[in-house]
Amino acid sequence: MNGLAVQFTDVVQRFRLIHERPDTLREFVAGLHQRPKRTTYHDFEAVKHVSFQISHGARVGIIGRNGSGKSTLLKIIAGVYKPSAGQVKVFGSIAPLIELGAGFHHELTGRENIVINGLLLGLSKRQIRGLEQQIIDFAEIGEFIDAPVKQYSSGMYMRVAFAVATAVDPDILLVDEILAVGDAGFRAKCFDRIASFHERGKTIILVSHDSGQIREFCDRVLLLHRGELIADTSPEEALARYDELTAHSHVLVAPGPVVPGT
Amino acid sequence: MIFELVRDTYLYRELIWALALKELRVRYKRSALGFCWALLNPLLMMIILTLVFGTMMRFSIDHYAIFLLSMLLPWTFFSQALAYGVESVVGNAELLKKVRVAKMVFPLSAVLANIINFLLSLLPLALLIVLLRFPLHWTWIYLPIPMVGLFLFTLGTCFFFATINVFFRDVSHIVQIILSAWFYLSPIIYSLEFIPHKYRFFFRLNPLLYVLNGFRLSIYYGLLPSPQSVAMSLACGIGAVIIGFGFFRRYQDSFVYYV
Repeated sequence: MNGLAVQFTDVVQRFRLIHERPDTLREFVAGLHQRPKRTTYHDFEAVKHVSFQISHGARVGIIGRNGSGKSTLLKIIAGVYKPSAGQVKVFGSIAPLIELGAGFHHELTGRENIVINGLLLGLSKRQIRGLEQQIIDFAEIGEFIDAPVKQYSSGMYMRVAFAVATAVDPDILLVDEILAVGDAGFRAKCFDRIASFHERGKTIILVSHDSGQIREFCDRVLLLHRGELIADTSPEEALARYDELTAHSHVLVAPGPVVPGT
Repeated sequence: MIFELVRDTYLYRELIWALALKELRVRYKRSALGFCWALLNPLLMMIILTLVFGTMMRFSIDHYAIFLLSMLLPWTFFSQALAYGVESVVGNAELLKKVRVAKMVFPLSAVLANIINFLLSLLPLALLIVLLRFPLHWTWIYLPIPMVGLFLFTLGTCFFFATINVFFRDVSHIVQIILSAWFYLSPIIYSLEFIPHKYRFFFRLNPLLYVLNGFRLSIYYGLLPSPQSVAMSLACGIGAVIIGFGFFRRYQDSFVYYV
């Protein structure tokens, strides 16, 4: 596929950080006759006026410190968040490897979860049936596939989740620091699969703190700092600037608001 | 808007069905009798009711147990579906925050799971009717109509309360209270004829009345409701869906920030 995969134009993602949000109806009603306090919330911009384009077949890394907006950016691409301002265009199907195994139900077996997860990722039942054996073979967890997921080790859980998410054969693969899972053998297999996506001309967007992974898997890196895109360049240059950033301020972003998903 | 609801229901039909089955499977998992409980549970409840009202407490209503059950079963569906439906969005918070998914699938699959349960509970009812030598009226074939009305009304109500529950978690408690008041204000355990004429107007404001009446007429009395009553029960259902889904749709994009 040619052309653009992802286009961000001046995208802003605002989170309302509410300090004293009336969480229950009682507090809400009780607060009605009082003058609303001015300081009950402040808006926090997790992503500030970010613009970039990613073309099909690119391998793009996103780096930045904790709370810099990396995961938020990925979730905007995945369509989980609707940005507060700006325009996002995504061309092609997406498989989010953001948090693997979202939607797994611990009482259901691996096989049952494969079906539900596949449907959630947009496959049809018929497609899932066709892919089921391939998914099970890739996960290599043997007879555990018919046991409830709650009996799985965390490694087994991840194996099944990774196998489903990548079996979807998306145009755009979003990877969020999940590759620290599983044993060395399985990790190598995951990386092989991601590499094979690239060979088939798919777009890969990877969030990572591991400079080795960034060097190996990316042709281009976006560096985020406090929600701003401060560099869009080659991996070497971006990593150098990132090191500079971390060297200059050892203190983590002061009482930094917690951004969902980071 | 309604077009959107129908289109998405069709688009995500496999997912909605799978989620509804998941709900049921999880409910009966790890019990020795498994899915049989969907039949056993209403049957046992009905036997108890029949014994209580057939021997201990006698009402002036003939075959009171069947009189009662003809409305109690649809009511049980409504209240259970609502209890599940209200929690359906919040209960899937982990999912909402991680993958893009049409949010309407959650209330819809909660209602669907419960309607499967409800349909199954009609089997033991028919069995009980035969055992009690009560006539199994031909008007049973009319039942799909009040069922559609009831399904739509329940769905609309679920959409509405599931939305509020995202922002105020105490809604699920309030719903329980509303349900118990609603139960006694509906002529389920009594007949509307017991109510003095001057108050009946108030009882007719109940949007569930027409649907419930359809069930009782066809199961207990062997009669068909008047066309006005049929129109009212469908109108209440469609009205509830328009209000409930409209409300849900208006706020669904901000669910992810509050769940």
